[in-house]
Amino acid sequence: MLQRDVFINEVIESLEKDKSIYFLSADFGAASLDILREKFPENFIHCGISEQAMIDIAVGLALESNKVFVYAMAPFLSLRALEQVKCGPGLMKLPICLISVGIGLGYADAGPTHYANEDYACLRSIVGNSIFTPSDNLTTEMIAKDLITNPRFSYVRLDRDNQPDLVPKITDENFKDGFKVFGEIGTDKTAIISHGKIFHNCYSIYKKKKEKTICINIFRSKPFPEKLIKLLKQIKKILVVDEQTPQGNLGSCIYENLSKNNLYPKIKIRSLDEMFFFENGGRSYLLNKSGLSDKDIISDIDGI
Amino acid sequence: MKKNDLKELSKKYRKEIFEKFLLIKQGHPGSIFSMMEIAVTLFHGGYVRFDEKKKKFIDKVLISKGHATSTLYPILRDFGVIKKLEWENWGKSQTKLRIFGNISIPGIDITSGSLGHCIGSGAGMALFYKKEKIDKKVFVIISEGELYEGSTWEALLFAKHHNLNNLVIFIDINELIILGNTKECLKLDPIDKKISGLGIDCHNIDGHSIESITKSLDKISNSDNLNCILAKTIKGKGSSIMENKKNWHYWNPMSDEQIKKTRNDLDQ
Repeated sequence: MLQRDVFINEVIESLEKDKSIYFLSADFGAASLDILREKFPENFIHCGISEQAMIDIAVGLALESNKVFVYAMAPFLSLRALEQVKCGPGLMKLPICLISVGIGLGYADAGPTHYANEDYACLRSIVGNSIFTPSDNLTTEMIAKDLITNPRFSYVRLDRDNQPDLVPKITDENFKDGFKVFGEIGTDKTAIISHGKIFHNCYSIYKKKKEKTICINIFRSKPFPEKLIKLLKQIKKILVVDEQTPQGNLGSCIYENLSKNNLYPKIKIRSLDEMFFFENGGRSYLLNKSGLSDKDIISDIDGI
Repeated sequence: MKKNDLKELSKKYRKEIFEKFLLIKQGHPGSIFSMMEIAVTLFHGGYVRFDEKKKKFIDKVLISKGHATSTLYPILRDFGVIKKLEWENWGKSQTKLRIFGNISIPGIDITSGSLGHCIGSGAGMALFYKKEKIDKKVFVIISEGELYEGSTWEALLFAKHHNLNNLVIFIDINELIILGNTKECLKLDPIDKKISGLGIDCHNIDGHSIESITKSLDKISNSDNLNCILAKTIKGKGSSIMENKKNWHYWNPMSDEQIKKTRNDLDQ
């Protein structure tokens, strides 16, 4: 099942008993959304292909004490409506959850207009939001449940594609922490930190290099997990991998939070290269071309 | 309240706000003076209903031209929503009042300042009231300059699609933006044809005539359609120094003589 369907199914379930939930779409669909629209037409609002107005409409609904979910393709919801996001849920601290689908190069081969390689940097810079980037369906389900139960200004970054389950799975305690560690911590090991779909590439590499690495899935990077800071105090070498542009990606987030805590381990950031991607060939091909191949990640582990 | 009283109140509030400008030395007098009669008529004319017991307004007023939200402060003070002390302290010491309104100020229904947001937010509120059969209206006041924002038109399409007859949009048309006349900077005309082309009922009025404002509001009170009131106004209305002057979008330093003249003008 796709992450978007996992999330929307949770919304559908909650709508059975909570009619204060509104789900808004800027003409972006899902199989589960068809069900939501049919079962709860009063709680679904089509805003047209108008991401900016969609956020403003969400503000009006949220000011009337409703829980609002806005849903669109990642590049358009994040960048096109950024100022509305700042002035609406940001300034007024409103319980609006933005659900972005297709982060990174998820929409390969649609081309650079459809890639969301900057959304993380943009949304993370807005004051007061929570940011989630799940790597599997269970985490997505937990995020949806949390945001329905504790509605707040949040940005959920979903992948376009199916993702394998994390094994071992995220526990309730992991969810509270905002991250999960795979492997045994050792001071001489490199911690590979990542989120979203690219995490799975890191995880595969970690499995082959267990003696040298641990792997950390950070599905909630804002607010930054306090426990992760404690854990990173024991780590001397960190590799952050993110399917985003070189500026303002997950690596920046890790750097800033370590620096805030006067921690200065060796850090390497592996992201997409500074370029727009016009080539065809699929997501893996583009990742390989742009500095995010397994080979690139492995060379960083060895070289750090 | 009688129409003459509303006119007198508008004059009184202009004078009071002018005295605040002299203290604060910043703000947007041109835009505030141009929408004064609209705000006074909405609140004191009873179009925005007030719950005396709760000391809260039933209907919502969203000032999309957020730089002019302080037009409402003396009005809200007189309804007892903003404390007199808050008003008195403005420009002197600690107060909740700000040049741009925000929702931490009692009676201010939205945080605004950036243009082009409030038709969308007002539409969200109005749609909710309609769905839930809640008897509330939403009045949104925008400047004509906000017609340059794409989000304004996105929201108009949305509001019309849902036939939000509980949403009333005022467009304060004073023909001036920061760099000059809209006709010369980037033409907006014919505004009424463009908006009525969306299927919205447009009403051209004199935005400084209490009679014209009340007539339009009475006319649309039972309308089945989305209504837009195009209010022709004068930027800086009431002050001969400020009227129709683009530089009076912002406060400018005044000589003693200019202050005297403006006080005298606002008394007329």
